[in-house]
Amino acid sequence: MPLHLGLCRDQRVKHALAYCLSACACCGIAADASAHGIVGDRFFPATITTDDPFAADELALPTITAFNHETDYDFDYSKSIFPGFAVSVGAGYADGHDASGFSNVSVTSALELFRDEEDETILTAGFIWEIGGSGSKAVADRFSTYTPEVLFGQGFGDLPDSMALLRPFAITGQIGFKVPGTSLASKAVQWGGALEYSLRYLQTNVRDQGMPLFVEQLTPIVEYSFESPTDAGGGETTGTLNPGLIWSGQYTQFAVEAIVPVNAATGKTIGMIAQAHFYIDDIFPSSLGRPIFR
Amino acid sequence: MTVRIAVVILLALTGSASAHAFLLHARPAAGATLVSPPKDVNLDFSEALEPTFSNVAVVDGSGHPVTAAASAARGTRMSVALQPLKPGAYSVTWHALSVDTHRTQGSFRFTVKPR
Repeated sequence: MPLHLGLCRDQRVKHALAYCLSACACCGIAADASAHGIVGDRFFPATITTDDPFAADELALPTITAFNHETDYDFDYSKSIFPGFAVSVGAGYADGHDASGFSNVSVTSALELFRDEEDETILTAGFIWEIGGSGSKAVADRFSTYTPEVLFGQGFGDLPDSMALLRPFAITGQIGFKVPGTSLASKAVQWGGALEYSLRYLQTNVRDQGMPLFVEQLTPIVEYSFESPTDAGGGETTGTLNPGLIWSGQYTQFAVEAIVPVNAATGKTIGMIAQAHFYIDDIFPSSLGRPIFR
Repeated sequence: MTVRIAVVILLALTGSASAHAFLLHARPAAGATLVSPPKDVNLDFSEALEPTFSNVAVVDGSGHPVTAAASAARGTRMSVALQPLKPGAYSVTWHALSVDTHRTQGSFRFTVKPR
């Protein structure tokens, strides 16, 4: 469990924000070198429905989503440019009931602004550019969208001894503002995150339960993802709750989640999403898995 | 099957792939309550460690070190000898650098409580 630094949480939050603003003012000087999903004692598995706050070398291939009478096959490759800054490229193929084709290509940048290893805290700024017209006319928008976003991760490792069994909990979150490159579509707030319980953290940091390694590497998780249009006539908020399980090995992780729509505007049936994810920084530690500039 | 093939290909391409060193076993175990005090702490990891930059510290409830010597890492194991421990709670904090320079860290507590 992390050691306390003699600061109350409010003070630490203020310090975090001050750090964040300073980082922004200095044109984004990133924090220390990062590895996939690790902050202090905490390992955050890569989330599969929402973006996570890590700028890392990783490959999600494939992500298969079956929801609303459509099956999507996606990939996403993230490359660290320098420690704490990564650019990812994603694309996919949508096989729908009415139409099929390639989706637009998305380019996402992520800059880690703040890390606190003791408090298991990370704060990241991101920017998503969905390139309009790069996909098939049948399924992809002709206009681009631009989404600046903020992402965070927070482990609960500093809970008191009386709540020790809750220390394996962690949350991640993202909030972004989606701006379409056309007046025909509404701007929208995109918000989401995850609540996860790390059995590895329970086993190694809190109380050894004698679990087999395979079980120890599981993380029960609930992700949530919402989009709230902000323009008049933009429609109602849509979103899903995605309970599932992630298994994290040394080089890969596999995840599966149910997709539960929160209202009729989102969907009427439960779907499913599954992903195979590769930790490129571990698979290619001395070549492809290292930042280009160190 | 496709995923399995992809993993095999990726690992085969790397040859010397190595990963983060995660803690697999600890003795004493995390959260353990021991009747007799342990003479040392042994930690087993998933990857080989870089000895120079891997270490483990053990302190008592007041934060005073109770190790009897510097910690040592060899292969996938890190260990440290302890002074004779009195009844009480102790904290173990470790830092590991795997041979491919990935860093991990962790901490846990154990308690010595004679019957």
